[in-house]
Amino acid sequence: MSKRYYLFSILIAVSLILAACGGAAKAPDVCAENPDETVCAVIEEGSTIKIGYAGPMAGDYSAFGIDISNAGLLAVDDAGEFNGFTFELLIEDTQGSGEGGASVANLYVSDPDVVAIAGHTFSGSTAAAIPIYNAARLPMLSPSATKADLTDGPQDVFNRIPFTDDLQGQFAAEYLYNVLGVTKLAVMHDGDAYGKGVAERVQEVYMSLGGEVVAVEAVTPGETDYSAVLTDIGASDPEAIYFGGYYPECAVIAQGMPVAGMEDVLLFSDDGSYGEAFIELAGPHAEGVYAATGAPLDSAAKAEFDAYFESIYGDPPGAISTFTWHGYDIVDALIQTIKSVAILGDDGSLYIPREALVEAVNGLSGYEGLTGVLTCNGGECNASGPSFQVVQDGAWVIP
Amino acid sequence: MSETKPKKTTGRVNSFKIIQAIISVLFLAFLSWRLYNVISSGVYGPDTWVRFAISGLIIGSVYAVIAIGYTLVYGILFMINFAHGELMMIGAFSGYFVFEALKSIPVAATGMSFLDSYQIISVVLAFIVGMFMAALSGYFLEKIAYRPLRGAPRLIPLISAIGASIFLQNAAQVTFGPQRRTYTNPDALLRSQGWRIPIGGEEVILTYTGVLTFVLSILLLIGLYTLVMRTRYGRSMRAVAENKQTAALMGINVDRIISNTFIISGALGGAAGVMWGIHNGIIYHFVGFIPGIKAFTAAVLGGIGNIPGAMVGGLLLGIVESLGPAALGIDFQLKDVIAFSILVLILIFRPSGIVGEVLTEEKV
Amino acid sequence: MKDLIKQGLRLGSIFGVVIIFLILFGLTSTLSDILGEFVNLESRTRTGNPGGLMILFALLSLWAGSSASASDRSNWKSALVSGVSVSLIIGLFVAAFILLVGFLDSADVEMRDYLAQLDHLSVQFLLYGRSLIAGVLITFGIFLIFGILGALLAYWYEAKQAGEVIQKQVLVLKEKALDSKLAKQYKENPRSKWIGYGLLGLVVFITPQFLGKYWNYAMGTVGIYVLMGLGLNIVVGLAGLLDLGYVAFFAIGAYTAGLLTAPAPLPLQIGFWPVLIFSIVMAAFAGILLGIPVLRMRGDYLAIVTLGFGEIIRVLIRSDMLAPYVGGPQGIRDIAGPSLFGIAFSGKAYLYLIIIAILLIILFTNYLQNSKVGRAWMAMREDETVAQAMGINTLYYKLMAFATGAAFAGLGGALFAARNQYTGPADHTLMVSINVLSLLIVGGMGSIPGVIVGAFVLKGLPEILRELDLYRLLVFGGLLVFMMIIRPEGIWPAPRRRMELHEGELDVLPPEESLVGKEG
Repeated sequence: MSKRYYLFSILIAVSLILAACGGAAKAPDVCAENPDETVCAVIEEGSTIKIGYAGPMAGDYSAFGIDISNAGLLAVDDAGEFNGFTFELLIEDTQGSGEGGASVANLYVSDPDVVAIAGHTFSGSTAAAIPIYNAARLPMLSPSATKADLTDGPQDVFNRIPFTDDLQGQFAAEYLYNVLGVTKLAVMHDGDAYGKGVAERVQEVYMSLGGEVVAVEAVTPGETDYSAVLTDIGASDPEAIYFGGYYPECAVIAQGMPVAGMEDVLLFSDDGSYGEAFIELAGPHAEGVYAATGAPLDSAAKAEFDAYFESIYGDPPGAISTFTWHGYDIVDALIQTIKSVAILGDDGSLYIPREALVEAVNGLSGYEGLTGVLTCNGGECNASGPSFQVVQDGAWVIP
Repeated sequence: MSETKPKKTTGRVNSFKIIQAIISVLFLAFLSWRLYNVISSGVYGPDTWVRFAISGLIIGSVYAVIAIGYTLVYGILFMINFAHGELMMIGAFSGYFVFEALKSIPVAATGMSFLDSYQIISVVLAFIVGMFMAALSGYFLEKIAYRPLRGAPRLIPLISAIGASIFLQNAAQVTFGPQRRTYTNPDALLRSQGWRIPIGGEEVILTYTGVLTFVLSILLLIGLYTLVMRTRYGRSMRAVAENKQTAALMGINVDRIISNTFIISGALGGAAGVMWGIHNGIIYHFVGFIPGIKAFTAAVLGGIGNIPGAMVGGLLLGIVESLGPAALGIDFQLKDVIAFSILVLILIFRPSGIVGEVLTEEKV
Repeated sequence: MKDLIKQGLRLGSIFGVVIIFLILFGLTSTLSDILGEFVNLESRTRTGNPGGLMILFALLSLWAGSSASASDRSNWKSALVSGVSVSLIIGLFVAAFILLVGFLDSADVEMRDYLAQLDHLSVQFLLYGRSLIAGVLITFGIFLIFGILGALLAYWYEAKQAGEVIQKQVLVLKEKALDSKLAKQYKENPRSKWIGYGLLGLVVFITPQFLGKYWNYAMGTVGIYVLMGLGLNIVVGLAGLLDLGYVAFFAIGAYTAGLLTAPAPLPLQIGFWPVLIFSIVMAAFAGILLGIPVLRMRGDYLAIVTLGFGEIIRVLIRSDMLAPYVGGPQGIRDIAGPSLFGIAFSGKAYLYLIIIAILLIILFTNYLQNSKVGRAWMAMREDETVAQAMGINTLYYKLMAFATGAAFAGLGGALFAARNQYTGPADHTLMVSINVLSLLIVGGMGSIPGVIVGAFVLKGLPEILRELDLYRLLVFGGLLVFMMIIRPEGIWPAPRRRMELHEGELDVLPPEESLVGKEG
């Protein structure tokens, strides 16, 4: 029994090594001088043009990975054939961690047919992957990595379409103070990079506006009972709680607030909490909860996509995560860009100069996607900030 | 592993002991200083303290029920059933499906669903199915993953248990999907509804689900204690725990006792899962893992292999988790740090737990 | 005859239930894809390959049929009876299940809300894209035909005694190989052992040249786990102390290296090499610090306290309280990598660095094992009371084992952080401790080659299992259980330990007598 596994593993190892050593054929002008596949990707006849998606596919946050990649697969379907070539979306599990992100990045850079990266999904895994893609000249377009400083640094391959955590935090704090008129705020987060980043930004901006932050507490993600920490928050009598994190924890907080003596306290969260899933989880306690959203405005294209997506996967977009549309847009935008750069060689192979593709993605402009018009500038492709919605009668509405 | 008898210590060992004692005393002094500061500052009103205590007792009672599952198995097989938390998860999912199914059955007489028309029956049914499914899983878990390893060194079943735990978590994830689910309780058990008790000018809510959880836990614990300590069957369980060979010679079917132990501990885990679902509301494939680790800690805290110990350990751990950070004025994020520090402190002074080991006295 | 039918029914229901679970897990579609690709079948649906599914069912029923007939293959009638009974039951189970699912699906019941794998498309796939009745009948037919075929084939195979002949040939070949001159020389000449090591070393040093970037990275991870495995081997395997919080020392190593070399959050930026030494020292110091209060505790108490210590470290490094000093959940970025004479280590070079570290640690471990310290550890593990009576200061040696093990983990952590140029709380979860302990046991405790093999299996296998996407952890967990059952001593156990485990099969030792068996 075990022998067979060894054989199997050796086979896979050998085939991977062979794949990595594949040679280049005759190329048209741009790629002629550099037959090296690290400079110019050569897609031979019969192969597919590969785009790599990386996100959490198993484990705690797999909802994000599954949802985004499902949308991405539709974009690949819609792309159809290009000069006789088809596109393929590779999907790998990063487990949402830095190590997993680096591991997947190394996997993608060793496959010469991978020309662009749709991802990564979480900021931690993205941060670990950027240097690797930068060295290999693979352009990235992330649907959901929002940590502000990701676009900095000695690299020029990373682009993203969501708004940053800093922007979101600033908008949220201003909304809380100016629009909702909250003067005493308690700040909570889930202790992860994303939630904590947004929450700290909210705290900073809110205090600079003149508001009072009466308590700051973090919860342990994954737990389903926060009664003790909510009691502690309740003792400081806030008018509202800002929570930075994802919907499961936000739902637990929403459910626990009445028992902790905070029946009239407002709960305000980020775009990680937005979505049908939150309402489903929190049930009646979802009423009156605010959240930020990057979900696109209604449009004909969006309505069409929503119906199509639901007919394929059963759930409407946005039900599992708010990044469904982003998932479609990044893959579609990458496919359009690849089409604009790729050259069909005389030998029937498709040549994709990597540096040109990086520049093309960095210079993406006026792309009309489901999430709006995307124009990349210094890595940020969507300058619009979040809008805020509130749950009323079991649905998210604009207040 | 043989025990270090404290009496046989050499000179150098005594110096370790002194260092230990000094560290512990310093730590205790630090704790009391923090406690004094917080209480004298008056940040928390009496209602807040009561809320902390209620929250701690409820979660502690669930820990206690899960901890007993660990303790029973440990007492008889001397193995840590790492997959026990997953049995709780299975129980939680089973209860969830029962509620969902009953909710979809309309009852003509009342015009409501079965769930809301016959609430007591529904809840009882959820517990029965949850306990049954978890017990069944426990039975097969033992049969498939542990029985072939009987007699192997102790680490080997531990690894097998870890493998089973990973397997069950992921099996639940792919079968039921990764998303979290909310328990649909019957009307009488709506979460965050309860008796309102006025304390210090504020109303403290004592939730119906919380009371159900606490009372049911205590009943389960008493029932189990009676079973093990007062019945003939319990006597044979204890006999197997003491010495398997002798028990077998006495005509006890050791294999069956071990199987049944897994069934009982699985049923307890399942009950804990349903309570967890009813009280906390949200379940998913990973829901058993953290309570599992906590309950294991609780079992050790009380003295592993000891049923009243698991109970004391569970309640204490629940209270420390909920009251500890507040009382010491520390971030709630660090509640696990406090819980584990207390564990170390208690084990230093009472090396075999608070209550000590009863079932396994001879073995250690 | 009755017994045969009974056994067939029993086996059939086990197979039936397992197959139903495979469908519920959705593994059928993944496996059918793999099988379909294998025989080059065109896939028609998004969820799986119907042709592959037929092959999968056929293979499973062949297996069931042949194992059902195992009890009595004396004549073809009994083989037929067991084949029919087993395949009927499997067929009934699976066909009934598919019928139910198909019926619910056609009645527009959204099973997907509760059972994630059963959406409309996968139900269509289970029916091979045909109508409900046709799909169910095909499934039933496949199980019936191939189950009976399996039983008869097994009978035919047995009747020809083909199995025995092949087995004999293998045995003869083996004996020949053992008797050959080369083997004899190898056995008799101690120098040839070193030649063997030399060859092995050569292979180790050449392989990275041929590995792609990804496998170099994956091998680097394996290497770091080898380092940790060697460390935990001292704590658990040699000194017999069950440590479930080993990740704490790994984290301390990684964070020491990170904090001292990265520009933020502490602006120190000391070079890699002195920091590497310092990381090891810090981890060893933490080992001693933890050891003082806990080493007097017995096996399982030690286990939970060390587990708690690991959690404490993880909670602390991601806490708000320490965030300004250690980076909080965001971790530490831009950790300096090592360089020598102005050349930075990366990719292949880094893998060599890890290999060199492993070799040094192996030499050190070997030296320790055969020294006074190693003998003291082993004596302690055998019987602590006797060891004390012999004048061994057990606490001192326990502390030493703890510190040494921690130091190795610290080294692993520092190398890990410097390689990724990043470290954060997500890299230091309880799963790391569990993985290291598992690799130790899967490989074979107390044995250095065992640790290496174990690391390959534990960290390499999930990389290989990437094919299975969603199911990789599921399969991994199952394999762990399976492995413990078929080979509890590990893949490459220390020789004495293997002897004892097999002795143990004859004369069952009460497991509680020793934490890790008498030897290992």
